[in-house]
Amino acid sequence: MANDVMIYASDLSKTFGSFRALDKINFEVKRGEIVGFLGPNGAGKSTTMRILTCFISPTGGSARVNGHDVFDESLKVRESLGYLPQRAPLYLEMSVLEYLRFAADLRHLDDATFRKRAKSVVEVCGLAQVLGKEIRHLSHGYRQRVGLGQALIHDPPILILDEPTSDLDPNEKAEFLDYLKQIGKERTVLLSTHNLAEVEASCARAIIVSRGRIVADGPLDEIRAKSGRVRYVVSIQESAGTGAYRGRGTPPKKVEVEEALGKLDGVKKVGELPTDERAHMYELVSEQEVDLRPEAFKLIVDKGWVMLELHRDSQTLEDVFRSLTIGDERRNRQLTASGQAQGADDDEDDDAAEDEDEDEAESPKSADASADAKVAKDERS
Amino acid sequence: MRNIFIIARRDLRAQFNSPVAYVVIGGTMLLLGLLFFLVPHMAVAGVAVGGFWEIDRATMDEMFTCLPPLMSLFVIPAVTMRSLAAEKGSGTLELLITMPVRDSEVILGKYVASCAVVLILLASTLLYPFAMFKWPWHLGALDWGPVWAGYIGCVFFSFAAVGVGMMLSSLTESDVIAFFMTSASLVGLYVVGLLAASVNWGVLGDALQFVSFSTRYQSFTRGLIDTRALVYFLSVTIVCLLVSFRSLESRKWS
Repeated sequence: MANDVMIYASDLSKTFGSFRALDKINFEVKRGEIVGFLGPNGAGKSTTMRILTCFISPTGGSARVNGHDVFDESLKVRESLGYLPQRAPLYLEMSVLEYLRFAADLRHLDDATFRKRAKSVVEVCGLAQVLGKEIRHLSHGYRQRVGLGQALIHDPPILILDEPTSDLDPNEKAEFLDYLKQIGKERTVLLSTHNLAEVEASCARAIIVSRGRIVADGPLDEIRAKSGRVRYVVSIQESAGTGAYRGRGTPPKKVEVEEALGKLDGVKKVGELPTDERAHMYELVSEQEVDLRPEAFKLIVDKGWVMLELHRDSQTLEDVFRSLTIGDERRNRQLTASGQAQGADDDEDDDAAEDEDEDEAESPKSADASADAKVAKDERS
Repeated sequence: MRNIFIIARRDLRAQFNSPVAYVVIGGTMLLLGLLFFLVPHMAVAGVAVGGFWEIDRATMDEMFTCLPPLMSLFVIPAVTMRSLAAEKGSGTLELLITMPVRDSEVILGKYVASCAVVLILLASTLLYPFAMFKWPWHLGALDWGPVWAGYIGCVFFSFAAVGVGMMLSSLTESDVIAFFMTSASLVGLYVVGLLAASVNWGVLGDALQFVSFSTRYQSFTRGLIDTRALVYFLSVTIVCLLVSFRSLESRKWS
């Protein structure tokens, strides 16, 4: 194992009774990397973090943190990391300063080092105003800051943060992410979150987990390009209302437009987006290399339709996340809502299911995602 | 060692930062005073012979008869209920255990803190014999031998009882459940010996008397330091701490 691999997980598995929370996951995090650990609720993010921080033991596989095995050298592992669990569980009856001192004492920091570290932690976490206050009187945002403070007090080379921004307001979030980038320069940070914007703002790399397996791991650009799709949005006028219709002849029918757009070279799918009765908005999905806009424009001009809008969207991380982890959501719905509720959701789900079918055809990389889609389809039928 | 001390110090502060320790110590002192002066003593073969003023003897026996049941009923359950159960419930245990500390240090630190609260309570009760027989009042010539023996008995009894409380606290995530389980277990362990002594249950009775805290404790109230009882209380403590340790460790495998 190379020296600069700070976190290393190999075939890590964890089962709770018959529930398989983690299914042989493998990943590495190198020195100086900030990695976003993404996934829906219950995907295995916290379980992985708890194994890495030696709170629980894996059922199978092994993990090393800073070169130490989490099972055999758990004290050394814990010495080299700072951990902020979900919802920052702190001792409410202690004051902020007392808490920081308690954390420092357990990490055997001497008084002078503590004072120096506390000063910098207070500064970066913005705790100066609340140092003497009891933690029970602090807002959730401040509690999270204190939690981060205790994780940083010993200046650890590795930080593991479980949903650190869940209780912060938008300003605090932005500040926190800036700060994360700053401290991440010389540290290794593993950060779990549901919020994709945060990952895009602070991480260069993401690991997406779903149902205890890793479905994507790599630089954000690579993950974004994973499905290889670009989306075009075209809006065509279908009724002029009280005003004069500016196109040739009469406004086109919805079916007619859909058919014509579908025949364009490079279009893989045409979908209708919600709009009002005067215009219809269509979503075209294509391969990334071909730019559909000239062809679409030409078609519309030739037909003499009135085009209200035409633009291109790159696939967002959110879309990729949704398509990779949609199986989880579907499974949850089936467990909780029977028959009718599912029927009501069907329309909405169709698109996603079809998207996943296309993934399967075009990208061998997304085998996992399409496996999810298949399972989802089977479950539906 | 150092971690045990750090954890114990934090827990002890937490006890005294909340009203629990004050209510427990103040309440016990008050109840003890009422029982001692106003309620008839059962000194001779379970026959009521009158309160402290009626029996007309310089003795603290009654205090040592009352202390263990009082401690079993509410002092020790209240002190130990939060040690692990509340930490598990609120999630603070996760943060504590992911710091570089051994599980055994967590258990011992919390055990030491709980014992310290109980010892502070026992030390406060010294106020009664001192106030009555040394200063400011001199109600008679007190034989201090049985008093010290009683205290040694109480201390070892507390070690074992706090161990039982810790163990039960480690098995649940709710401090209320921990309180009632500990209270029921300790009162049960105490009463079962008194019951077995008054009814002829044969071998079962002997066995119950053997495990009961009250039979073990009684010799101390008579001024006798019984090493068998000391060994018994210490053994119970060790077993309970081992079970707590295993129970804390079991989170890894569940």
